[in-house]
Amino acid sequence: MKRRPLPVFFGLLVLAVCSCAHAQVVIIANSSVSASSISKTELRDIFTGASTSLSNGKQVTPVLLRQGGVQDEFLSLYIGKTDSGFRAGWRSILFSGQGAMPKTLDSEAAVVEYVSHTAGAIGYIGRAAPHEGVKILVVR
Amino acid sequence: MRDDARDKERDVKRLPIAAAALLALLFPGADCSWGQSMDDLNLQVHGYATQGFIYSTNNNWNTTNSTDGSAAWMEAVVNVTAQPQPKLSIGVQARYFLLGTYGNQIKLDFAQGDYKVNEYFGFRVGKVKTPAGLLNETQDIDPAQLWILLPQSIYSVAGRDSNLAHLGGVVYGTLALGKSLGKVEYRAFGGERVIDTADGGLVRFTDQGFQMPTGLSGPVYGGRLDWKTPLSGLMVGASEESDNPSGNVTRGTFQGTVSGDPFSTSHVFARYERDKLMVAGEYRRGTTNDIIQLTGLPPVYAYIDQRSFYGMASYKISEKLSGGLYYSSSLDRKAAYTSARYQKDWALTGRYDFNPFLYAKFEEHFVDGTETGYSITDNAGGLKPNSRMTLLKIGVSF
Repeated sequence: MKRRPLPVFFGLLVLAVCSCAHAQVVIIANSSVSASSISKTELRDIFTGASTSLSNGKQVTPVLLRQGGVQDEFLSLYIGKTDSGFRAGWRSILFSGQGAMPKTLDSEAAVVEYVSHTAGAIGYIGRAAPHEGVKILVVR
Repeated sequence: MRDDARDKERDVKRLPIAAAALLALLFPGADCSWGQSMDDLNLQVHGYATQGFIYSTNNNWNTTNSTDGSAAWMEAVVNVTAQPQPKLSIGVQARYFLLGTYGNQIKLDFAQGDYKVNEYFGFRVGKVKTPAGLLNETQDIDPAQLWILLPQSIYSVAGRDSNLAHLGGVVYGTLALGKSLGKVEYRAFGGERVIDTADGGLVRFTDQGFQMPTGLSGPVYGGRLDWKTPLSGLMVGASEESDNPSGNVTRGTFQGTVSGDPFSTSHVFARYERDKLMVAGEYRRGTTNDIIQLTGLPPVYAYIDQRSFYGMASYKISEKLSGGLYYSSSLDRKAAYTSARYQKDWALTGRYDFNPFLYAKFEEHFVDGTETGYSITDNAGGLKPNSRMTLLKIGVSF
């Protein structure tokens, strides 16, 4: 009986490592977005302003989170830029007249609220954040 | 005249303080977050302001007293964009700009309506930025750039106002060629180009005693193609532009007109970005044959065959610090054999982002030749063949 804590400990450690390796950011979309998955390339193109449509031709509208852990992880996982580089890219688009800055919201709850009520909206939140009323897109 | 210029410089140094105060008044409580948003029209207000300093050896640069050190270099930009529908956006951008004795007024960068039908086709009309060359549309966006000065061989700050935008429209779209061929982005434009009477691009006339009291204007058209290759991060492109400006000219008591062949400009460029590294290069050739006809005098012909290129590289050293280097070269094959015929420039730069809204830049230039940015008017003692420039800039954006 005294030997059980060690395997349990290692089991918990393995679980913890696995959960850390698994992304803590999920992509959410309004129910009007027919796709159930999105490629990393599409995700990068949408959130850097290079494209406004998914591969199925449907227009989507990105929404951003303000600075924070979820924002940093999203940028690291799917955009490959720091927050300053990400903003510089959008500033190039905005101040050259080639597009508008995406809406930026203060909290994950606000992102969920906006995405759930805005046709075509797509955003990102932490995996643990409540997300009633939106669909989750699998990143492939 | 030089003391008057200095007095004017001192007077206008107060203006950026006024510009900053104006911004604060317009946007009270602005917390340097991502602009202010009004939900009904998705109305957003963004902007930025910069303050620069320049010191140069041997030659004064672009109407500044840079050989004594000059802080007469500032700008403030306000952008208001509404997006009432996902496909429709309306934007206005105004800029206050001062460089030496040039500018010191608020001008319209662009004012346009943009409708994107789908990924394949969209259009914008109004006063719109001109998609010619790799960096023309973004050359004035200081917070988005690593560099204080883009390669002046192609993106001269003195001629920026005139080259940046035109009155008319742009059509644009993206065509996917498949996974193995990448994508092609196209942009075609047309309308009217207006060149201000004080534009730096007219220095080649003013240095010979000609004045364009009402500036120049005329039709402009062209297009740009960008191929986003299957190699991730690599883009290759080209653009072509034809301008045909004309206008009135004076020289002393004589009056007349300036006209001639269209100014044709061809660009070829490439950029590669991967992780923290960016490498880019561009070649431009601009040619024209201008004719200046003053009443009662034989015509004066001004031929230009300017060939320019640059190669640049930048690296993100850390989250807050970036550095870069470029070599820029320009040669007017039709010009007389003086230092004004060519310009070669090695530039070394660094940028530090204190936070997402505040940044500072340092840049050193080693310049051989005086083709761009150096005028006899600003250098009464004559132009020296080379100079070194030290530039500093601080900027804030929201």
